[in-house]
Amino acid sequence: MPKRLVFVCSSILVLALAAACGGGGNDTSGLPPAPAGGAPGGATFDMATATGTVSGKIAFEGTPPPAARIQMSADPYCAMSATPETSVSEEVKVSDGGLENVIVYVKTAPAGLTFATPAAPIVIDQKGCHYSPHVFTMMVRQPLEVRNSDMTLHNIHVWAETNTPVNIGQAVQGMKNNINLDKEEVPLPIRCDVHRWMNSFAGVFSHPFHTVSGAGGAYSLKLPPGTYEIVAWHEKYGMKTQMVTVAGSETKDLGFSFSAAAAAD
Amino acid sequence: MSRHFLEGGSIGLHRFALFTSFCTAFLIFVGGLVTSTESGLAVPDWPLSYGMFFPPMVGGIFYEHGHRMVAAFVGFLTVILTIWTCATEKRAWVRRLSVAAFFAVLTQGILGGLTVIYLLPTAISMTHACLAQTFFCLVVSLALFTSPGWKNGLPSVTDKSAGIGLPALCGLTTAAIYLQLILGALMRHTDSGLAIPDFPLAFGRIIPPFNSPNIAIHFAHRLGATIVTGTIIWTFSRIAREFKSYRMLFRPALTMFALVVVQLTLGALTVLTAKSVVPTTAHVATGAVILGTSVVLTLRAFGMSGHEWKPGRARQSGI
Repeated sequence: MPKRLVFVCSSILVLALAAACGGGGNDTSGLPPAPAGGAPGGATFDMATATGTVSGKIAFEGTPPPAARIQMSADPYCAMSATPETSVSEEVKVSDGGLENVIVYVKTAPAGLTFATPAAPIVIDQKGCHYSPHVFTMMVRQPLEVRNSDMTLHNIHVWAETNTPVNIGQAVQGMKNNINLDKEEVPLPIRCDVHRWMNSFAGVFSHPFHTVSGAGGAYSLKLPPGTYEIVAWHEKYGMKTQMVTVAGSETKDLGFSFSAAAAAD
Repeated sequence: MSRHFLEGGSIGLHRFALFTSFCTAFLIFVGGLVTSTESGLAVPDWPLSYGMFFPPMVGGIFYEHGHRMVAAFVGFLTVILTIWTCATEKRAWVRRLSVAAFFAVLTQGILGGLTVIYLLPTAISMTHACLAQTFFCLVVSLALFTSPGWKNGLPSVTDKSAGIGLPALCGLTTAAIYLQLILGALMRHTDSGLAIPDFPLAFGRIIPPFNSPNIAIHFAHRLGATIVTGTIIWTFSRIAREFKSYRMLFRPALTMFALVVVQLTLGALTVLTAKSVVPTTAHVATGAVILGTSVVLTLRAFGMSGHEWKPGRARQSGI
């Protein structure tokens, strides 16, 4: 055999082995959470002093679009385990004239305060090829635990722009991974590239003044006295803001309104 | 079969190179499917898939892991092609070309892995897309250089027209197509495919408002399509007028002309169907086939230039 043939064969073998030895993961499990968020060096805020309340309804004007049916045939397990709740899109969920899954938050927290990061993890579960919850809020460096309760595999793709993007595979039922998000980001889309209909949105904040509208579009925020810019964000209908001032332990009613017509424009 | 041909390798090698070329074109189609279905990150690890050699082929995994399997097969074919060429081919430059193809496919595999690990960074994804086309050109060239038509000696033609010579014109067309494919890759990997939502106009105008880089990229691709179509028509009309009796020039020129009509239709359909998977993917694959055809035409035009015209040999040496 000519020398050059031996050389070519050996080179191919060595390079192929070198190529196969690459790879790596981006699982961020095990990262320690920071003790607090907010402005560094300030006094730690006590939520008991948040005596004011801003609450209201996220109203939906017009006829809500019909919930799109999700085609799950790409994965027989998903098709088999679909329920009436999981087999329709949660993009626009309206009940009692109110829009659910709207992230409501204070745009800028009171200056000079630091906020304790909750130790309890936010859990997002993949069950029936569906993210639960669909929309959630959390604080920076609060543990975010992603579970796979399905007998199929999922990837958790955090489409972060401010935080570090993450893409983790969960091949086996029961797998759990922790994801570290250490910067404010709203919205933070999370999606499964295996099952394209699976998506979720997070709001990550350096303060605790945030929530997600529930049944009937209702929401409530506990706030310390002050003047705030309140933001309401929805995945389809975008963002709206309003100013509000709360004094002492008063409760202010602050409604937002989104309309089907606005989205169509 | 001439002695010269026997000295330079076998018909088997040529057929194998042709087979590798077809498989590579199919691989580009499958790679296009991955981006069209946005499944590039459905398998988050590399070189394994979910820690396995063969994960369940569900959802986006079907496209991404399918692409990896076809790529591995093409890589395997390229290894055999390289070994076979190095073992049997007398021409050193052809041997070197096969080694270049091997390193190209190896680099391509590593780039594919890196684009997954680093979550589809535009620079790596674009390089991956452009190297795919380059590798395809390499294997198509190998198929051509190992063909009986090439090894028996190409007929010589005398270019009688003034101005740009046929080899230069074909080379210009190939360069224009390659640049257009780079623009296409940039458009796909910057998600600019629908930055201009209407066709044939752009926002109802001939020149769109350049409000974003995505619009500029998309418009540059449309402008590129016009230039490529122009160079292809120029090349085809020149060959049809002056070299129609040379089948080995006329056939690829006609094929390229027909394909560019298909390609323009697919490009329009990609916009009008809001990047529906089938036309979008077919647009990618057809672009590669046009490039491969243009490479064959260009190499033949160069190979036939500067010699006396021998019509008798032209008719017997097509592949």
